[in-house]
Amino acid sequence: MISLTAVDRVQALRYAGMHGAPDAHLSALTDICEKRLLSAVSPRSCERVYALARSPKGILCKGSRLLLTGRDIEAHLEGCSHALLLCVTLGEGADRAIRAAQAEDVTAGLLMDAMASAAVEQVCDLAEAAMLAKLPEFHAAWRFSPGYGDLPLDIQGDFLAAVDAPRRVGVCVSDSGLLLPRKSVTAIIGLSDKPLERHRMGCSACNLANTCPYRAKGAHCK
Amino acid sequence: MTVDTLLTSGFLMLDGGMGTMLQANGLEMGGIPELLNFTHPQQITDIHRAYIAAGSDVVYTNTFGANRLKMAKTGRSVQEIISAAIRNARAAADGRALVALDIGPIGQLLEPTGTLKFEEAYDIFREQIEAGKDADLYVFETMTDLLEVRAGVLAAKEYGDGKPIFVTMSFEENGRTFTGCEISAMALTLEGLGVSAIGVNCSLGPVELVPIVQELCRWTSLPVIVKPNAGLPDPVTGQHSFAPKNFGECMKPYVEMGVQIFGGCCGTTPDHIREAAQTIRSMTPVQREISIPAAVCSANRTVIIDMPRIIGERINPTGKKRFKQALLEHDTDYILGQAIAQVQAGADILDVNVGMPDIDEAEMMRTCVKAIQGITATPLQLDTTKPDALEAGLRVYNGKPIVNSVNGEEESLNTVLPLVKKYGAAVVGLTLDKDGIPKTAEGRFAIAKKILDRALALGIRREDVYIDCLTLTASAEQAGVMETLKALTRVKQELGLRTVLGVSNISFGLPSRELVNKTFLTMALHAGLDLPIINPNTESMTAAVRTYRLLANHDRNAVEYIAHYGGETPAAPVAAAQNMTLPEAIAAGLGHEAGELTAALLKDASPMDVVNTHLIPALDRAGAEFESGKIFLPQLISSASAAQKAFEVIKTAIAESGTETVSRGTVVIATVKGDIHDIGKNIVKVLLENYGYTVIDLGKDVPCEAVVQAAAAHHAPLVGLSALMTTTLPSMEETIRLLRAQCPEVKIMVGGAVLTADYAAKIGADHYAKDAKEAVDIAKTVFGA
Repeated sequence: MISLTAVDRVQALRYAGMHGAPDAHLSALTDICEKRLLSAVSPRSCERVYALARSPKGILCKGSRLLLTGRDIEAHLEGCSHALLLCVTLGEGADRAIRAAQAEDVTAGLLMDAMASAAVEQVCDLAEAAMLAKLPEFHAAWRFSPGYGDLPLDIQGDFLAAVDAPRRVGVCVSDSGLLLPRKSVTAIIGLSDKPLERHRMGCSACNLANTCPYRAKGAHCK
Repeated sequence: MTVDTLLTSGFLMLDGGMGTMLQANGLEMGGIPELLNFTHPQQITDIHRAYIAAGSDVVYTNTFGANRLKMAKTGRSVQEIISAAIRNARAAADGRALVALDIGPIGQLLEPTGTLKFEEAYDIFREQIEAGKDADLYVFETMTDLLEVRAGVLAAKEYGDGKPIFVTMSFEENGRTFTGCEISAMALTLEGLGVSAIGVNCSLGPVELVPIVQELCRWTSLPVIVKPNAGLPDPVTGQHSFAPKNFGECMKPYVEMGVQIFGGCCGTTPDHIREAAQTIRSMTPVQREISIPAAVCSANRTVIIDMPRIIGERINPTGKKRFKQALLEHDTDYILGQAIAQVQAGADILDVNVGMPDIDEAEMMRTCVKAIQGITATPLQLDTTKPDALEAGLRVYNGKPIVNSVNGEEESLNTVLPLVKKYGAAVVGLTLDKDGIPKTAEGRFAIAKKILDRALALGIRREDVYIDCLTLTASAEQAGVMETLKALTRVKQELGLRTVLGVSNISFGLPSRELVNKTFLTMALHAGLDLPIINPNTESMTAAVRTYRLLANHDRNAVEYIAHYGGETPAAPVAAAQNMTLPEAIAAGLGHEAGELTAALLKDASPMDVVNTHLIPALDRAGAEFESGKIFLPQLISSASAAQKAFEVIKTAIAESGTETVSRGTVVIATVKGDIHDIGKNIVKVLLENYGYTVIDLGKDVPCEAVVQAAAAHHAPLVGLSALMTTTLPSMEETIRLLRAQCPEVKIMVGGAVLTADYAAKIGADHYAKDAKEAVDIAKTVFGA
């Protein structure tokens, strides 16, 4: 289990569509939501390191059925002999807390959802750091998830099976490709024995480039 | 050889890991082990044989994932796979071992977090049970969701020909499953459903599981199963490394705590099982001292009735026009609001009564139970006189509920008690029968005894029968007050039963009702009342219970009491409300103040005047500031929810006065099939309602046909669809296509983060709403402001 003691409120408020400082009322509501969320979540992660096998079809995580296809993941994994697969979740408690907040007050629901989104990213950071500390022989790329660029979303099933996620952290995928519990993340981190140039992927590769509210205001999501 | 004979003679040895054995032989991660029943039957039979040789009395078939969802792409049917698997197991068992049909989790999350309905889960399990009728017993393992387990157990009970049912769940070190299920809740619920043995498998190794199994042994009288992993898997290699000899040694503490059924899970091999079998067979079985307290539970919370526990009474339409209106409109949000308010006020259990003419009570009960248990862990009391509504609620309730009620009449005893037994609930018995309510304590005591005897005869435990000696009104039957209390005390002391009482009746017709209720409550608590049914929002009543708990030495060191009453009394919410106007409260997002100010305004103005003069302009102002970037989404929503609180006060006033609500028009909204994101849609709903539109909210993951049906049934001129995933846009397109075909006059607006104006036009929508505010503007154009 991973310990989460505070939620990144700045990030959360941005997810909620907030710019600038919140007023006293929103701040107080955010306090309440944070406390409830932290007591409701059970952050967990599971991971597995796979050697990679390249073929014209794509990049296979050897020993699993996970085949990574597309130009973007190929570029991301360039120079990598292995990949760390990570699945992280806040657990069903987060979904429950969001539903309860929504039933009480629509603003609380919005804030709780935003805080949970921020929290799962934090848990991902923690899990990634903990795992990479156990792999000092490798240099690591940044996190790349199914759905980024041209890496299709429909690999989620094979991804989860490759890390035994349903059994180890209770995460599964719905028919429409949604990870459940909802505040869950799957990520691929390329591993190489040589230092890697960490290319940052720009907005052009994001599926939401045309509708992004941050871009509309000339800003970025991260 | 049967399960029972094996258990009476002492221990039962299960087998070890199958999946990990196959992976060691080359099966890849994500491969489908069940297909090996066809491609490599000999390999499977050999593994079974190896376990039997190592000492297993029972082998689990290679069918962990053999359900219709997981096997869909294999080209094989569930029946084929399960038949082949049983054949392979029998070939090894050869009469020397039993064959258990192994059933693992379905692989999808159940509602409300996921999209799999309880009824569908039941059907999936039923198919497996029927396909496995040649097995000797059924095993559900590695389960983490109690609701899913219940669906499986009910299917096994109803289609399994009376064969034994074992259930093991997987727990984390904190003593809960992934879905937060408590060990006590698992035990209470599953023993209530009548399974043959329960326990723990997977997730942790044999050392880590000790405290968990110890806790389980305290909560059940059934034989207990432990089937640990061979330690935790190495994150890099995936290997389990716990040695067989250590594994065997680790079985000792379990024997000592009275466990009878042993096995191994991931990473274990025949060697591990051999060591475990040798260890246990060198020891003598231990008889467990079992004393399970009177308790009820949801999956995530057990409430022990060892001190007075408050049952919240507010979810009940009797005498409440607003509630009746909510039921007629299928407004589950209103009911959820009532649930949350009572839980926050201190209710330990919630009574749920949704009975009234003109509605489908069974469907409403089912819907409400599912919705309430999705947002609170507070256990529920199902309150209905209709057997079909009772069964509907019992079937989907995730835990052990209270049934309210049975009484001394033959018909009631014959219809209600069997349902209580089947679903493992506790039951409230009312001391009345066809002759009415006896005047004397003796008369009520006699009925209580009759109900108890009938319950015991059906196998319902004494601890699960609660008696309500019935409160009459003091003004009509003043002498009867003490009879109620006398009966209560006798039932408590002579029959050893828990007692229930609804107290509010006592003061009907008297002035200062709260004073009478509170005093009677205190008297009753002292007479032995365990479960007062009250309105927990009435602070004096809840305070009386808390104070009693302190004085009766339940609340040790007054911890709870001080937590509630020890702080500084906050200054009364002062001039803030007096000096503020309703529009200001809305702009500031202050819902409580908005509600109070609205109540004050309603003294001099009509509801629609308040809406048109104060609420709508305030919302318009917030909307304009949002558009111009002066305020942002959270603040807009905050104002909308403050307006919603004001609107709630107005709705109640309108309901009480009995006048017709004037609606600006009806809008049907839904999140499309396959999609469960609904926050945006809910924000739209709040805004539209605030502006006076009637919103029919179909929820999330809504089939296309349901949208069409609702639009037609409600004659809605406008339908709003939301989707937040690229993968569910096809559902949106299909919904639009159906609407165009069947309701050509309907206008369609769409919204959601993945949509653009272009795409909306492409799929045939009339309008694209880039945010909630625009949805309101669209409604104004469609309905003509």
